[in-house]
Amino acid sequence: MQQQEIHNFLEKYFNANGCEIIQNGQGYLTVQLTIELDKELMNRPFYWHYLEKTGGVPNPMQLTLITNPQLASDQLKGETIHFGSPRLHQIFESTKNLAGSIRLYEKHNKPQGQQTPLRPWLGMNIRISYECDRKRDVFKSIGLQLINGQMVEGFHDKLLNLPLTPKIPDYSFTLSPLIMPKSGISRVENFLRYEIEQEDHSWADDARNRWQKDLKLLEHFYEEADEKDESYEIEKIALKEQYEPKVKISIVNGGLFYLTDQAV
Amino acid sequence: MTVRIEFDSSWQEELLTRIENDGPWGNWELYKLAVAVETHTTIPDFEGLQAPKHLSGLTPLPHQLEVSKQVVESMNGKAILADEVGLGKTIEAGLILKEYMIRGLVKKVLILVPASLVTQWAIELNTKFFIPAVTQRKSYVWEQCDVVVSSIDTAKRNPHRDIIYKQDYDLIIIDEAHKLKNNKTKNYEFVQNLKKKFCLLLTATPIQNRISEIFNLVSLLKPGHLGNESAFYQKYNKDSRNLNDHEHLKELVNKVMIRNRRADTGIEWTKRKVETIPIEFNKEERDLYDAVSSLHREGDWLSSSQFSIMTLRREACSSREAVYFTLKNMLEKQEEPSKSFQDHIQALIAKVEAVQQNSKAEKALELIQQINDKVIIFTEYRATQMYLQWFLKQYGITSVPFRGGFKRGKKDWMRELFQKNAQVLIATEAGGEGINLQFCNHIINFDLPWNPMRLEQRIGRIHRLGQEKDVMIYNFATKDTVEEHILKLLYEKIHLFEKVIGDLDDILTKLDFGNVEDHLIDIFGKSASEGEMRIKMENLTAMIQFAEEIREGEKNAATGNS
Repeated sequence: MQQQEIHNFLEKYFNANGCEIIQNGQGYLTVQLTIELDKELMNRPFYWHYLEKTGGVPNPMQLTLITNPQLASDQLKGETIHFGSPRLHQIFESTKNLAGSIRLYEKHNKPQGQQTPLRPWLGMNIRISYECDRKRDVFKSIGLQLINGQMVEGFHDKLLNLPLTPKIPDYSFTLSPLIMPKSGISRVENFLRYEIEQEDHSWADDARNRWQKDLKLLEHFYEEADEKDESYEIEKIALKEQYEPKVKISIVNGGLFYLTDQAV
Repeated sequence: MTVRIEFDSSWQEELLTRIENDGPWGNWELYKLAVAVETHTTIPDFEGLQAPKHLSGLTPLPHQLEVSKQVVESMNGKAILADEVGLGKTIEAGLILKEYMIRGLVKKVLILVPASLVTQWAIELNTKFFIPAVTQRKSYVWEQCDVVVSSIDTAKRNPHRDIIYKQDYDLIIIDEAHKLKNNKTKNYEFVQNLKKKFCLLLTATPIQNRISEIFNLVSLLKPGHLGNESAFYQKYNKDSRNLNDHEHLKELVNKVMIRNRRADTGIEWTKRKVETIPIEFNKEERDLYDAVSSLHREGDWLSSSQFSIMTLRREACSSREAVYFTLKNMLEKQEEPSKSFQDHIQALIAKVEAVQQNSKAEKALELIQQINDKVIIFTEYRATQMYLQWFLKQYGITSVPFRGGFKRGKKDWMRELFQKNAQVLIATEAGGEGINLQFCNHIINFDLPWNPMRLEQRIGRIHRLGQEKDVMIYNFATKDTVEEHILKLLYEKIHLFEKVIGDLDDILTKLDFGNVEDHLIDIFGKSASEGEMRIKMENLTAMIQFAEEIREGEKNAATGNS
């Protein structure tokens, strides 16, 4: 992420959370936090606890974030934000926490007076991590139509091209799903499992080979001991944790989307 | 073979609850942002380093990046980092740690370092790597914080020990790991029983060790890598010192150890400029020195060893306070001192009292005023340290003392005081280790240690990565004393001061003849005449030079010593 991208990202984040941006200057941003965001970001539970007990007037903090120290004035007091900074990663985490589940409707411009049906979709943004002593990730966005079971990849990108709204638009009605969300999720899970199983897993075989090799060394090291002591068992567990290959599927976010027939 | 697939079902529960309760639903803008973040933080390849992208303000050197990559990609996250002093092992460890944290392979980390470095490690990880490392001060820290820095001496003691064993660490880093060379110690046992999923052992001096020490260190990291104990010692002689004799063993060790030499890194180092400053005793000082020197010719009233006489002679070259302190101790140690013993000591004390000026201190003052910048004075003696502090104060020069015995917090504080408020830092020998002072580039060796490695450590405090200026070293040597002999006949002959750090370490290993200091005590204590002493010194010098030549030869024969 470039500094300007970070700046834009922060602007969007605070706007989306209803924070007033007091100053949006060259290379910096000063925002008035809402109570919710103060609790989310400022890590002062005792203050909020105290306030709730005493019924005082809440005073959420202002935050100045410097996204480009070269552009911002030297006198400006604030936190410098860059791609590796803990604050940015805290905000990253918070975007995921705050928008884990969603329900949206397509705001179509079908002629008025005519009722438009909207079909239910389950959308899931997914991270697949291939993990042993090393790790790599794949991002996938999957949509499942909950009536006919049609499944599409790259679902999120399709959504980005649609006008979406949290309230059902006028002259629209939603079709009831034939597939319940719970079994929809299972379908997606099974699809992913099947797909992953078909992949080339030489990385996992390599990891298992490394694991076996170190395990053999370990056995040899302790082979003369009559009673293998605690450190042997500890070491064995450590090797498992170090090398054992696994694929972890986690959901970044997702939800229900009611879309017109033409949308996907 | 197929691979285990885990599907995280926590999200499903969240969604279903919200459907049931008709909300609350997330905000579309935030939802899109979360996906954008995800695509930015997804790492599509097993290979390659992510960490450098996350570190603004830190530009790792090529060899540091190379080490980090190698540890993660070919050593599976278990390695001995053994670069020569000053090449930035801490940076390498930080890069590796950061890489694992970014990739989500490491969360809980235990960092064990010497007490004097605890704060420094925590500061570096926080400021350079943005890793929220916490120094261990309270017991609950072990459980509540993910990245904890502690001294091994604290960690191995209960209640800490038991708490630590219950934690699920992903990565363990141990600095100054060569201290774990003996597998019979409590520290060794403590580390052996830690679960080491990933593990980094940092040490600057692995090669000079005996083969048994290497076996112990490697077995801690990767038990069995060098075979089991009995098989190993059947093959290799326990006391053998030279790893290079065993090509196969060396190869094995190199699979788990990385050692960069200064010469390999291509980094331009600032120069060392060495100046010997001859000191002329005044009459009273000379009297005292001569009186102390003649002790060993004066019969048996003094049952003390050569060692204390030698100490007194060296102290006489430093300050009268140092001599007085030792004399007082000698007197107090005797339960019923004989009359003759008391008389002798009293006579010497009278000589001490006669000394009114310290020629070295005067010279130091002159030099400090002339340098007009930060200066570190090293002395072997605490009495001298205290005297110097008082003496400099008389002339309006601010100084702070530094000793190895200081607690961690005090060391940090003294370093800070020196950096911000004082012109001079006066350190005793033990203070030489474990503190980085590269903001200063002048060292006065007020007196010289008899162990060349300790001299190296003194200089290493300021001549390291990060030093931007040439380093000035001033050696004080009092004329016609043991001190001058050591300097002229040994240190200057072997070009000690011009050597880069690390070289000496290698050379002394080659010698395999024990402690240099013992040789010196023997030479100065037992030589009947000045001539004999000189010859013996020349022999010693020749041996060191010989070892140096062998080393040069080897270097040329086998380039790319890795």
